[in-house]
Amino acid sequence: MNTFDFLMQGFAVAFQWQNILFAFAGVLIGTAVGVLPGIGPMNGVALLLPVTASLTAGLSPENAAASALILLAGIYYGAMYGGSTTSILLNTPGESASVMTTLDGYQMAKNGRAGAALAISAIGSFVAGIVALFGLILLAKPLSLIAIRFGPAEYFALMVLGLLAVSGLVGKSMTKALMMMMLGLALGTVGIDAVSGSARFTFDIPVLYSGLAFLTIAVGLFALGEVFKTTLEKDSTDAPIAKITRVMPTKQDMKDSAFPIARSSVLGFFIGVLPGAGATIASSFSYVMEKKISKNPEKFGKGAIEGVAAPETANNAAAGGALIPLLTLGIPGSGTTAIMMGAFIMYNIQPGPLLFQNHPNVVWGLIASMFVGNLMLLVLNMPLVKVFAKLIDTPVKYLMPLIIAFSVFGVYAVQFTTFDLMLLLVAGVFGYFLSKNDFPLPPLVLALVLGPMLENNLMRALTLSNGDYMIFFEKPLAAIFLVIAGLWLAVPLFLKNKSNKIKKALVEN
Amino acid sequence: MNKNFDRYAGVLFLAVAAFFIIESQKINTASYGSSVGPNIFPLGIGILLGILSLRLIYETFNYQKDEMEKEKLNYKRFGIILGSAVLYCLFLEDVGYAITTFLFLVIGFQAMKRGKLLASIAISASFSLGVFYIFDKLLNVPLPSSSSWLGIL
Repeated sequence: MNTFDFLMQGFAVAFQWQNILFAFAGVLIGTAVGVLPGIGPMNGVALLLPVTASLTAGLSPENAAASALILLAGIYYGAMYGGSTTSILLNTPGESASVMTTLDGYQMAKNGRAGAALAISAIGSFVAGIVALFGLILLAKPLSLIAIRFGPAEYFALMVLGLLAVSGLVGKSMTKALMMMMLGLALGTVGIDAVSGSARFTFDIPVLYSGLAFLTIAVGLFALGEVFKTTLEKDSTDAPIAKITRVMPTKQDMKDSAFPIARSSVLGFFIGVLPGAGATIASSFSYVMEKKISKNPEKFGKGAIEGVAAPETANNAAAGGALIPLLTLGIPGSGTTAIMMGAFIMYNIQPGPLLFQNHPNVVWGLIASMFVGNLMLLVLNMPLVKVFAKLIDTPVKYLMPLIIAFSVFGVYAVQFTTFDLMLLLVAGVFGYFLSKNDFPLPPLVLALVLGPMLENNLMRALTLSNGDYMIFFEKPLAAIFLVIAGLWLAVPLFLKNKSNKIKKALVEN
Repeated sequence: MNKNFDRYAGVLFLAVAAFFIIESQKINTASYGSSVGPNIFPLGIGILLGILSLRLIYETFNYQKDEMEKEKLNYKRFGIILGSAVLYCLFLEDVGYAITTFLFLVIGFQAMKRGKLLASIAISASFSLGVFYIFDKLLNVPLPSSSSWLGIL
């Protein structure tokens, strides 16, 4: 079968009635989650991950996995879109990826063009989703064919690269990011070792034998961490919300944004494919690029529709692109995709090059459902913009305790132990204090999900080489990955030192 | 940058690192058919975490002046919410899902902001009963119930 046949088969999966329902629920919930104050894509996907397990409990494992992932992917890009609503109407970005949207989006809202701004970001998101879809179809197969030749040494090196790439790019301090990564790897070793079968750090406590559940920690860090932050810091926001009058963009608006949307979707997609770069960088890159090539750059920052179209398109395209390393290599490039990988593993499906061979229905069903989901997102959002905007008013008073109750329910419904509920609360408290003090959480989650595989490949490589660590440098590909990983850490440090020296020189002069 | 927090965090993480290094000594050093054992990975991670923690502690000495603006944190509200969440989780299995969730939500809503008691009760009741019936009765996700001593829910 060729790619086209597989894609058609995927559409057959995506058009099963329950999967259409899941895609619909996903984008609807996702958009709502994105709009609601305090929860972004990462929190939303984490919060709803356990629930998908209960919802799909009656299906066969393969179908359950396909449906759950369709739902989660829907939440992911729905939330990416929903985040733009608060940026435009309130000037408060829901997550870092929509910071750039506030620059022109809020100005447009002030000029009474909130509707047009929201509509153009819906259109941009749709185009981006479609471009990402085609990119996924074209790139997924060849990449997985290359990756299938990787041995354990290459895999180990690639995972190290993926982890370091994410840790090097998030947060202010690389030391802290790396510490979080090591903590995640360390927590991942608790339980029975898959290679040798020996119990590690369990102290004969039965609940620890199966290890610390990824799901519990992810929900705690992201969902509860945010809740604790809000209860401690914020009282209800009283910022005025811009009114929405006309929703449809004018012909001139469409003409102005056509090229920025086209350029940003391609740019965003490729940035999304790179591990660690992700939606935030994609949106700022595309904004800067549009400003550079614009004939009248002075318009930007004063309500230019291109300034909304470009970053909104780019961050959604990046969200699609980020699925490529996850699906083809089994290496998530961001916090959200790490949580989605947790979902794959929960259903006993290993993402990676073999995914396309072993579970074509799951992966092509997911890819095809992205088309369906994006279409729904567009159809849903144009008429419902005003309804979603109302959600911004949801009182924090009710939202925060409900998120806690929902997390507790979700974790209990999957894990069934009081121990996990306690772990959830502890993770929540830690999540708050760590992220407040610039200890970034994505490297921790990523390391926690990749840790067991990283170790597995390390052990297999070392077994092959009889304990000789040089195997990682004797295999050329592995060596290249490790060198890139090393440079990823060294170059920023070098640049920092240099800029410090320049600063010192300037001060002395 | 909060100098104090980072310094304490550095010490805490150093302790975590020491824990992993010491405890990994108790794991087998070899496994069947391989000269490397399941202790290598945690040991290595522990050592790297230790080095990074020392580096963080060292970095805190170079921080510019502590410019944390003191924000007013609502510790009372946080304490009530966290405390009731802990009790909620502890008693969930024994007392039953619907009742504990209802109580937690009412307390949580009121702790967030006083007033509108009726609305709080209505929302709490519909969430706890709704989730319980949809998941426990319709979707067969067993949730702890208090049927043993109340006969309902």
